[in-house]
Amino acid sequence: MIAGWLLRALVIGYVREHPWRTLLTVVAVALGVAVAVAVQLANATAVRSFQSSVNVVSSRVNLQIVADGAPFDERALMAVERVPSISYAQPTVTGTILAGSHPADPRSGEMLPVIGVDVLRPYPGAQTQEAASGEDAQGQRQPSLRSLIEQNGVLISQRVAARYHVRQGSRWTAIVGVRRYGLRVAAVLPPIVGVDSSVVFADISTAQELFGEVGQLDRIDCVVEPASAVPSVAAALRRILPPNARVTTPQRRTGEIVSLLRSFQLNLAALAYVALLVGTYLIYNAVAIAVVQRRGEIGVLRALGVSRRAIFGAFVCEGMFVGVLGSMLGAVLGALLAQSAVAAVTQTVSSLYVFEHADGVVYDWRVFAFVFAAGIVASTLSTLPPALEAAGTEPATTMRAGAFERRSPRRLRLYAGIGCALLAAGWLLTLLPAVDGVPVAGFAAGLAFVFGVSLAAPLGLGILARFAAWALARFPSAALGARNLGTSLRRNGVALAALAVAVGMSVAIGTLVSSFRGTVAAWTGQTLKADLFITPPGPQNTGFDVATGVSLPARIAQLPGVAAVDIFRGTEIHVRGRLTNLGATNFSSLERRAKMEFIGRVDRLRLQRELVGRDAVVVSRPFTVRFGVRPGETITLTTPSGPRAFSIEAIYNDYSSDAGFVVMDIATYRRWWHDRTINSIAVYARSNMDLSTLRTSIERAAAPARLTVQTTRELRAQVLRIFDRTFAITSALYAISIAIAMLGVTTALAALVLERRREIGLLRYLGLRRSEVRAMVLVEAGLLGAGAAVAGIVLGMALGLLLIYVINAQTFGWLIELGIPWRSFLGLAAAVIVAAFAAAVLPANVAARMATAEAVREE
Amino acid sequence: MRRLLALVLMVTCCAAGWRSAGAPYAFSFPRDHGSHPNYRLEWWYFTGHLLANDGHRYGFELTIFRVGIAPGAPTPRPEQSRWRDGEIFPAHFALSDDTDGRFSYAERLVRPALGDAGAARYGLDVHAGDWSIRGIDPIRLQARTRAQGVTLRLRSLKPAAVHGRNGISRKGSCASCASHYYSLTRLVGDGSVRVGAHRRVVRALVWMDHEFGSDELEPNVVGWDWFAFQLADGREVMLYHLRRRDGTFIPASSGSMVARDGSVRRLRAADFSIVPTGSWRSPHSRALYPSGWIVRVPLAALAVRVVPRLRDQELASRGVSYWEGDVCLEPLSTAASDRAAGDACTAGQGYVELTGYAGEVPR
Repeated sequence: MIAGWLLRALVIGYVREHPWRTLLTVVAVALGVAVAVAVQLANATAVRSFQSSVNVVSSRVNLQIVADGAPFDERALMAVERVPSISYAQPTVTGTILAGSHPADPRSGEMLPVIGVDVLRPYPGAQTQEAASGEDAQGQRQPSLRSLIEQNGVLISQRVAARYHVRQGSRWTAIVGVRRYGLRVAAVLPPIVGVDSSVVFADISTAQELFGEVGQLDRIDCVVEPASAVPSVAAALRRILPPNARVTTPQRRTGEIVSLLRSFQLNLAALAYVALLVGTYLIYNAVAIAVVQRRGEIGVLRALGVSRRAIFGAFVCEGMFVGVLGSMLGAVLGALLAQSAVAAVTQTVSSLYVFEHADGVVYDWRVFAFVFAAGIVASTLSTLPPALEAAGTEPATTMRAGAFERRSPRRLRLYAGIGCALLAAGWLLTLLPAVDGVPVAGFAAGLAFVFGVSLAAPLGLGILARFAAWALARFPSAALGARNLGTSLRRNGVALAALAVAVGMSVAIGTLVSSFRGTVAAWTGQTLKADLFITPPGPQNTGFDVATGVSLPARIAQLPGVAAVDIFRGTEIHVRGRLTNLGATNFSSLERRAKMEFIGRVDRLRLQRELVGRDAVVVSRPFTVRFGVRPGETITLTTPSGPRAFSIEAIYNDYSSDAGFVVMDIATYRRWWHDRTINSIAVYARSNMDLSTLRTSIERAAAPARLTVQTTRELRAQVLRIFDRTFAITSALYAISIAIAMLGVTTALAALVLERRREIGLLRYLGLRRSEVRAMVLVEAGLLGAGAAVAGIVLGMALGLLLIYVINAQTFGWLIELGIPWRSFLGLAAAVIVAAFAAAVLPANVAARMATAEAVREE
Repeated sequence: MRRLLALVLMVTCCAAGWRSAGAPYAFSFPRDHGSHPNYRLEWWYFTGHLLANDGHRYGFELTIFRVGIAPGAPTPRPEQSRWRDGEIFPAHFALSDDTDGRFSYAERLVRPALGDAGAARYGLDVHAGDWSIRGIDPIRLQARTRAQGVTLRLRSLKPAAVHGRNGISRKGSCASCASHYYSLTRLVGDGSVRVGAHRRVVRALVWMDHEFGSDELEPNVVGWDWFAFQLADGREVMLYHLRRRDGTFIPASSGSMVARDGSVRRLRAADFSIVPTGSWRSPHSRALYPSGWIVRVPLAALAVRVVPRLRDQELASRGVSYWEGDVCLEPLSTAASDRAAGDACTAGQGYVELTGYAGEVPR
């Protein structure tokens, strides 16, 4: 009873009196929750779309035989079918085709995954086809066997059919590698649950020929009955299958990809939760102000015999109320934001990790539940200190007039001490290694920095206020503002801390992105030494197929004006059960052309001799971080000819994949992998050669193959474009964190002015002019903004260094050169101060207009 | 005749390049036991009655179809996928456990890509996975699934009986509505049947059909009733009715009578009558099948009651469901009371196939 009455008296009444402030706080929480929800949903969607791509066939498939590095011989299927417990086996060939490519723009078009299966082995559990009527619900005829087996027939989804304006029976042109193929739409499929709508199905005969895998398979999907026999069947299969056919389960394959993404997603989630953290600072701030403002009422209530516990409960309820409201709003907003977040995350994942396509957001209720709970818990926790303070109020003190916050400086020094201790602890934490690839200590250090700066903020603000008051002594109203700032240090300290954390987050992300971008730009400059780069058309590099691939480099090398040609092959392999990249290039030109940037002192000529044609490799830095290997050691790779040991000769710097790269000479690769496919060609022109002429002659020499020929400058620009796309979601977080910070400034200042109502009234009574009151408030705001900007930049730099040298180094292994975007930081600081001023204009006017008499009556 | 079914996906009908079965055909054995890839459809069809030493009775069906996709079954060129097959091999295997009253079947559709299925062009050698029919003297037949299996060695007591006139078995009034069709009407031998882990040694009496053609049925035919009898007196009879949508039979319906010495007499539609005596509603496909007949062939002095050994012998196939069952022949004079007293197939044994009752047959 009493609680309900209290709630009405203290909280609801207050909310009714200050709807805008409450709304701003709710919005701040909502933004934080929304960002967390959106990012988590995007992550969940990315994972789900992998699951569907791994397990596209049937949920009953419980064992998969997957080609590793290179496809395996299709005759393995016969051996597989003879294993007693395998009740179903589906041979599969996969690849991608480029659809909708425009000849004028080689980068145009859409990559569609193709799954080639034996169309006559219906998936287990698939519905019986109504062969008798010959027509399905769409009024289509059943696809004829002839169209599927003899005429390059494909089965496409309604979405793909609509996008490319094709119907059953239409001819459909697609590009595979560098060649154009005429396909025929055998049927348009209705949506299939669990199957990505971009998937194109074909008969295995068509797929084998499209992807140059005649006689080979990429995968065999099996149903083992009973399921308990999976381990023994897997063991039996391993004995009879070729070495590059990995026996695995759909769950394990999903797990591999998910673990590949884990670091990326973890970092994204961490950044998202910082936004929520900033939101909770604002709640703290708002509740703390409310406590101060209602000090009198609290005192009366306490004098009337209301217990401390009841008052404490009432304020906690207020925090929860804001938390629930904000979290609800945030969940809705997050669900909307998720649409664009999914696009951004998918793009990042596609350009960095594995090709994927997300059909739509997977609205996982667990994400909502978790973030919602986190929002409420965080807001409730943030009300605890002010609520405790309210509960601790002595009736006598609060009844006294002009009883503002009067905390002993000793308390502030204690807080600052703890803050400094936290900062030191954070620094110590940065020295700890990652746990299982997750920089736990790094994240903890980040939190320590955030709280450390927050705790130290009030004392810092006090020093700033005192200094400003001294410096502005000649301008009484301004000095008054500065001194005002110093009187309620803790309250202002929280506002400052909230702002500083938001600014710090922006600064940290800005530092990371700008340093990373600068490093990548420098790296492309150092490693992209050739003049022209040739890849197959399409937004992703898919590899040249065998037929054109082998003769093309030779043909290009003979063109007039060509000095030399480098080729590159990249594929995915498993090393020690984890997915990584295998690269192959002609190392015979290693010494002459500095195409790789090695770490440490490397004698390039000696290295070239060690690598060419030998069982030796160089590995990228991220690879060494993931696998913990060093030069001088050997690493065993599974080749189609069996496992082989390769000696590691050197580490090179690479920013193309955090899964790592192990690179060998092309001759070595072809010897063990029997694969003559290449993915790209680099052309070195003679010094006097005109590049556009050379480009034309290359395109002519390659015809009818379709190529993308880019100059070094274009390729560098493209690398940076991919980089920017990759960090698009990070930049969005950056923008949102600034928005939250601005909200913080506004609420904090509005609160400050209102809190000072009586004081301002008194000052006006004592003869202060309106313009002077306005100046006082603006100075106060400006100082707060400046303090936050400075603290934020300091915190941001610390977090930025943490991101670059600890978190990133431990999770991805990228060597990033620190490049601080001073100019944009100065801009940010200026923006924060200007925003603080702007946010103070309204409260300043309110204060200036304040009726003197009314304000003083209270005194 | 029969069994164009089971084509999960339909083959383009009447595509150019296929040879028509409307032209006279001179059979030559053992060559014609092999496959005829210039024709679109072909099947090797075995039905039989198996009797174990302990008196346990089974009926079985093993059919391997060859469905041509491209005429002549071209071998893929080296740069082409081996899965670019010119033909595919659907197959059905059913076992009727007459004594225990159980019927079960399995079907598969195998592509020859990796040698998993195929048919020799000369002589009898057909397989679809591990279901196979190999050799002619003896014929080794094998079919097995996880649940059941049949292994038989068979010898033919009579020469091949070629149906129709000039090697043309008419399936309609149009010139190309025909097939080339012969039977080995009395194959005997022994082997074993396995149900689960239980195996029985059996003696077998089997009928083999081998038929090929390209463009079989008259357009208005919805299905057929086919009967193959191995009479106790050493003769065999094959009869088929091609049914129109309205239930009437087309005049091209016909049959053959094989004498004890193997000589074949052609029967025209007017020479026999088949009258259903009952019906059975399938719980699987909901189709209503006739069940039980009285068959008369006056000029062969034949009048028998045809009684299914099991009511439910329907193959609810992925393609089209059909009834293919082990039947018992009783002299028409036998009283119902005698029939109830155990196995009374005194007139002989047979197999009956009923199609087009659960949706039209695919063409």
